[in-house]
Amino acid sequence: MTSSRTAGSRGKWLVSGPPLLYLIIFFAIPTLIMLAASFRTPGEFGGLAPLVDETGKLDVNLESYARFFTEPVYFEVFLKSVVYALVTTFCCLLLAYPLATLIARSAQRYRDLLLLLVILPFWSNFLIRVYAWMIILGPNAALAKGVNGVLGLVGIAPVPLLFSSFAVLVCLVYVHLPFMVLPLYANLEKHDQALLDAAQDLGANAWQRFWRITFPLSLPGVYAGAALVFIPALGIFAIPDILGGPNDTLIGNLIKQQFLETRDWPFGSVLSIVLTLAALALAGIAAWVAKRHADAGGTIDA
Amino acid sequence: MTSLRILVAAAALAALPAFAADQLHLYNWNNYIAPETVKRFEAECKCEVVQTYYSDNEELLAKLAAGAKGYDVLVPTSNAVQALIKGGQLKPLDRAQLPNLKNVEPVYLDTPFDPGNQYSAPYAMSTTILGYNEEKMKELGLPTDTWAVIFDPKYLEKVKGRVTVLDSSSELFAAALKYLGYSANDTDPKHWDEAAALIKKAKPYWAAFNASSYIKELTVGNIWLVHGYSNDIFQANLDAQAAGRKFKIVQGVPKEGAVLAVDNMVVHKNAPRPDLALKFVNFMLDGKNSAELTNLIGSGNPNLDARKYIKPELLKYPAIFPPKDLQAKLEQLKDLTPAQRRLRNKLWTEIKASR
Amino acid sequence: MHRPSPWLWVAAIAAYAFLYVPLVIVVVYSFNDSRLNAEWVGFMLDWYRKLFANEEMLRAAGNSLLIGLVASAVSTVLGTMAGVAMSRYRLRLLPVLVLTPIAIPEILMGVSLLIFFVLLNLTLGLVSVALAHIAFCIGFVAIVVRARLAGMDESLTEAARDCGATPWQTFRYVTLPLIMPGVIAGALMAFTLSIDDFVITFFTAGAGTVTLPLQIYSMIKIAVTPEVNAVSTLLMLLTLLLIIVASRLSPNLFRSD
Repeated sequence: MTSSRTAGSRGKWLVSGPPLLYLIIFFAIPTLIMLAASFRTPGEFGGLAPLVDETGKLDVNLESYARFFTEPVYFEVFLKSVVYALVTTFCCLLLAYPLATLIARSAQRYRDLLLLLVILPFWSNFLIRVYAWMIILGPNAALAKGVNGVLGLVGIAPVPLLFSSFAVLVCLVYVHLPFMVLPLYANLEKHDQALLDAAQDLGANAWQRFWRITFPLSLPGVYAGAALVFIPALGIFAIPDILGGPNDTLIGNLIKQQFLETRDWPFGSVLSIVLTLAALALAGIAAWVAKRHADAGGTIDA
Repeated sequence: MTSLRILVAAAALAALPAFAADQLHLYNWNNYIAPETVKRFEAECKCEVVQTYYSDNEELLAKLAAGAKGYDVLVPTSNAVQALIKGGQLKPLDRAQLPNLKNVEPVYLDTPFDPGNQYSAPYAMSTTILGYNEEKMKELGLPTDTWAVIFDPKYLEKVKGRVTVLDSSSELFAAALKYLGYSANDTDPKHWDEAAALIKKAKPYWAAFNASSYIKELTVGNIWLVHGYSNDIFQANLDAQAAGRKFKIVQGVPKEGAVLAVDNMVVHKNAPRPDLALKFVNFMLDGKNSAELTNLIGSGNPNLDARKYIKPELLKYPAIFPPKDLQAKLEQLKDLTPAQRRLRNKLWTEIKASR
Repeated sequence: MHRPSPWLWVAAIAAYAFLYVPLVIVVVYSFNDSRLNAEWVGFMLDWYRKLFANEEMLRAAGNSLLIGLVASAVSTVLGTMAGVAMSRYRLRLLPVLVLTPIAIPEILMGVSLLIFFVLLNLTLGLVSVALAHIAFCIGFVAIVVRARLAGMDESLTEAARDCGATPWQTFRYVTLPLIMPGVIAGALMAFTLSIDDFVITFFTAGAGTVTLPLQIYSMIKIAVTPEVNAVSTLLMLLTLLLIIVASRLSPNLFRSD
């Protein structure tokens, strides 16, 4: 019916229009300005060189891109960041899944409270939460003394918990945990208990019920949570700055340096573009794999 | 929902700045002006001082380069002043309105950054030196007056994992260059390579590159030796004593020399109230007002007139008030050209990524 | 009927412990008799006293709360619309525009928004900060809402349409209650992101605008005193209170059944 089709397309614009418009104005356009900067030269004292120099030549070049592709150290740092982000995502998933499941299965009246309790710590300031981790992981605190005591028994030299990759990862997981819990919860909450009951009646044990019913159904939530953890974790710089060791420089730190030490906006822009494209590409691949998995009948129709 | 709306409205009202026709917008480091000084100025000029803060020169430069305005007085370090002047971001100072400029010690005036002080007036200063836990360093028998103690593996072995250095390529390279006998402002790529090699060799012994939380760790005794700023190290000792620790935190001035950072007051070209700005600059050049900051945080003071108001024990610290022979070995960092900055960043990234 | 297995309880409690141990330290240290946030010295209430005398910090906290409420409200509305649109229709541009703000480094976004606002001659202040926050929060809400809708039964909405409901009625009485947990989750995330944001806020804030993160980060090189712990503790409690009050006043707002 034509009326429902025009109504359908009008509905489409009505719903997608406002967010699209907002993002175009306050995100796409500003970002394009900086993307264009990746083709320019850095200004003498900061910022960008004038668009048209004295001889009337337009300042457009690929120098900054060339730099990224010809010096391998930037790619190494980038790879390290990907590894850190993957480990963070995986650990977040391990911790978040039981938590989200518990909240989703609790009685209605407790659910909102339990959810709030997950996010409450994150309304305190980021910096002092990281400082709290510095206290927990400090060399004179109980945890370090305990761990090193055990290592000492086995004859291994004491290992620093603070100012190390371990500290960075623990803090990364900590800071991103709610962003895995919330999407997982939103998905798990709608799972029909009747399915699991039926499976149990048919003889499936707890692990089988989880792996063959719950987990596949929760995949959209898992992917959403993974995206909301992996992508931001890729670009983080504050945590390595505050409690990282001398080898914990990530791509986020490099990008920050370009803007705030080297005053090389074009190169900072190039690194940012590479980071963003890589993040989007990985997200795209994950979504594609998810879709294929779903199409191949890996999920059960609810 | 009405209660929610009331709460939101109350929060909104709380967020509105008090209406004041005369406002001076000061963009400064945090805790870099004594509250009494601000109050006295507000009483004198019958205006309100609105303060916002940054914690790094580069943050200030990036924000201004992107076009931010609304600030009257800024307090950048000398090399940032250089960048701002060359970038045309500052308003020249009307010397006629700054009679107190004569109070400044001549060696800090008329610098290469700002010949004739057309744009800037010195405010406060600090040196980048060593800070150490006196007890531990004595126990380990380590020297405390040379950069060798953070660069030479034979000393570093004894303090492995208990040393931090600043997370700043300019500061660390400056220290390395000074240790190697070059100028902190040396731009010879060969010398930079030497410095980078030195840093890479020492890196495995360092606990971290840290510019923000190292002072805390020094004060509680987790870290025993730092490469840091004189103000911070001075403050760390005060905190350590206040917490009743058995060790003292001491400033160690390396004999090879160090970096001197002079922070200056400048007026932004788009300042909404340049008249108030100049009043403020002149006010801060008065000895009594200038001394209050030094007494508060132990910062160095280029103002001769301030000496008589400064606590006498502070005058004895060479890191805060360098004597003539030390002054000769201190250097202010100069701004680099874009090509040099790129090279430096490449070396810095390689250092950070090396194992 | 399934009761959650004991392993689930153990794992969940371990996760809650992981979340709360640092927080307990934050709150406990707000009573610490030491300027530094580094180790316990003794008990005192002075930090709370100092906090209430510290106009700057209080105003910064108020600004953060205000911006947080506004930004999360607007971005939840826009984000929900985006999530519904992405789930229901085949869109090409919106998914990219929604995901990219999450991926793009904050410093790039901050600098580019500042340049943009300056070009538009927009006065920097609370408004510019809120606009910036909304831009990066929309994505988080949209993704959660879309995940919630994934695989959701279309037959319910079709049935409503067949019964003669207008699209708005369908949304209000069928879709919205179904996705409400996702919307709430998204709103909570957006609020959290907004009150803790530093980098983007730094670049888009005006000459007199201070938010709590800006105030706190500027202290990073001197000492982040327990006053910050105190204000964080109070802000958490205040926000919790606001939410409890709001949910008591409109109990149906958060219902998902």
